[in-house]
Amino acid sequence: MEAFQYWVQGFSVATLPTNLMFAFIGCVLGTLIGVLPGLGPAAGTAILIPITFNLDPIGAIIMLSAIYYGAMYGGTITSVLVNVPGEAASVITCLDGFQMAKQGRAGPALGISAIGSFIGGTFATFALMVVSLPLATFALRFGPPEVFALLVVGLSLVTGLSGRSLLAALIMTFFGIMLAMIGMDPVRGAPRFTFGITPLYDGVGFVPVVMGLFGVGEILISMEKPVLEIIKTKLKDLLPKREEWKVSAGAIGRGTILGFFLGLIPGIGAIIPTFVAYVVEKKVSKHPEKFGTGVIEGVASPETANNSYANGALVPLLTLGIPGSPTLAVLMGAFIIHGLTPGPFLFKERPDVVWGLIASLYLGNIMLLVLNLPLVGFWAKLLEIRYQYLYPGILLFCILGAYSLNQSVFDVGVMVAFGVLGYIFRKLDWPLAPTVLALILGPMMERALRTSLEISGGDMSIFITRPISAVLLILAAIVLISPAVRGVAKRAGKD
Amino acid sequence: MKKAWQLTCLAFVALAVYTLVLSFEYPYMDRLGPGPGFFPFWLSLITGTLSLALFLQTTLAKRAAHGSATLLPDRLGALRIMIILVGLVGGLAIFETLGFRITLLLFLFFLPLALGVRNWWFILIFALAGSFGVFHVFYYWLKLPLPMGHFGI
Repeated sequence: MEAFQYWVQGFSVATLPTNLMFAFIGCVLGTLIGVLPGLGPAAGTAILIPITFNLDPIGAIIMLSAIYYGAMYGGTITSVLVNVPGEAASVITCLDGFQMAKQGRAGPALGISAIGSFIGGTFATFALMVVSLPLATFALRFGPPEVFALLVVGLSLVTGLSGRSLLAALIMTFFGIMLAMIGMDPVRGAPRFTFGITPLYDGVGFVPVVMGLFGVGEILISMEKPVLEIIKTKLKDLLPKREEWKVSAGAIGRGTILGFFLGLIPGIGAIIPTFVAYVVEKKVSKHPEKFGTGVIEGVASPETANNSYANGALVPLLTLGIPGSPTLAVLMGAFIIHGLTPGPFLFKERPDVVWGLIASLYLGNIMLLVLNLPLVGFWAKLLEIRYQYLYPGILLFCILGAYSLNQSVFDVGVMVAFGVLGYIFRKLDWPLAPTVLALILGPMMERALRTSLEISGGDMSIFITRPISAVLLILAAIVLISPAVRGVAKRAGKD
Repeated sequence: MKKAWQLTCLAFVALAVYTLVLSFEYPYMDRLGPGPGFFPFWLSLITGTLSLALFLQTTLAKRAAHGSATLLPDRLGALRIMIILVGLVGGLAIFETLGFRITLLLFLFFLPLALGVRNWWFILIFALAGSFGVFHVFYYWLKLPLPMGHFGI
């Protein structure tokens, strides 16, 4: 009953004309960000944080969240028509989506993506509504040791699942935590590693870092081969044929369930659910050999999983305060900037924000379906913008976003410096997501660790004598050790 | 790529050693428990060890994770990247002195030009819209403080 009252409250907030407008603006901007190569959802959301400064927090969060899940829709268009993922989660869609476009079937590919995304997103929102309240209530039992252990799990997952070298991923994680040490000590409030530079007293801003790593860095990579070859095709017959529906229905169902449940695992990231969905679809298919040649299930399943994941990943963010991807880390930053702390207390203190946001996800998904089906031709046209205008235009908004956060040129410098680092790390194939997540979670982690040790009088066993934290730490150890064990076993098998 | 991985590892070792040394400037423990130096000390130690381990793994392994792709872009790609970076650093240098509008006008005019566009009128409209137009929207409508520069433009 209590939950039902919250749902009603959420819809009354989300359907306010201003909030509907913010959701719509967010959906449009999100689709735009998803479509344009060189601007991913993390950087795109970060850029737009400053424009929400003067907005009501609920409207601001609704808009920024719409950008996050809207980008998931938009990324498909670029994957299908250009064979370049508009955002990372659409990588797998390129395989069959682009082949379909080459065969003149771009319309059904984009149509089934939009419909699958809508179904996946809507189901995941419903599931989010159902599970978030009990989970948030459970999370209220967490003390500093459990919070520390949970953060370790989140960072272990994002580390263990990214990149081809676990060591490189670990270094990137610790690099992020090191960056988080700059500024005020989160427990005692003493300045650390500031080198007498005044802006560093506030720490290294995550927004300029994200814009640098994911915005400027991506543009620098794109400048190596900036010209996109767009498949010229007429975007007609967006609705799939009956036989295509038949094979897509199961794929959409499986993608929905997989995406949501994988989204619940903090730190798993947006790419893995799409790959898992694709692999599962190939396994259950009667003709797995055709995958990669333009089969509609190869588009329907990962695209559905992608959007189902996007909404599912809001569960750990809202209930535990743990972002599962760089974009969600930015979203968490936006919450904090607006004076809201994601986590179990938010459900008690600001139910209007939490439930208003959740209700807005339903409405946003409907808006995105409308934006993506009839207007797909318009979005595709944007891909024809010449890179000589597109990239300077994106950089303009990066500069604007980095500066206006603190009215600091120093932050713009940080963005440029991290842009160069982002470029180098991409070339090295070292993962960037762990750095961003560690940067935002680092102070929370340090606070939880030190407070735990203060409680225990310096006794480390506090983390293993409390059951929840012990289980979580064992889980983190398994995540980190299993790739190494697998590697050794593989080598032993070869010998 | 192997060399690039090795160099990056060494850079991280150097960073870890530097922060380890700096961490001694902060108290490791105080009367309440772990002090401000506690976390940096362990973090630097772990980062340094991991970086050294990866350096050794990269150096000793026959087929390591680093792959065989080259780090450097081709000449044209490198030129385009340099143009973007020069534009960004140049813009950064004059941002507060000349203000948002003039800096972005120059940035958005010269970048497409340097990247090979020769449609002068279009570039000019693009640069004016991106500088004066964007300033108007964000400064006057969205109330975001942006630098006016010494000339007040």
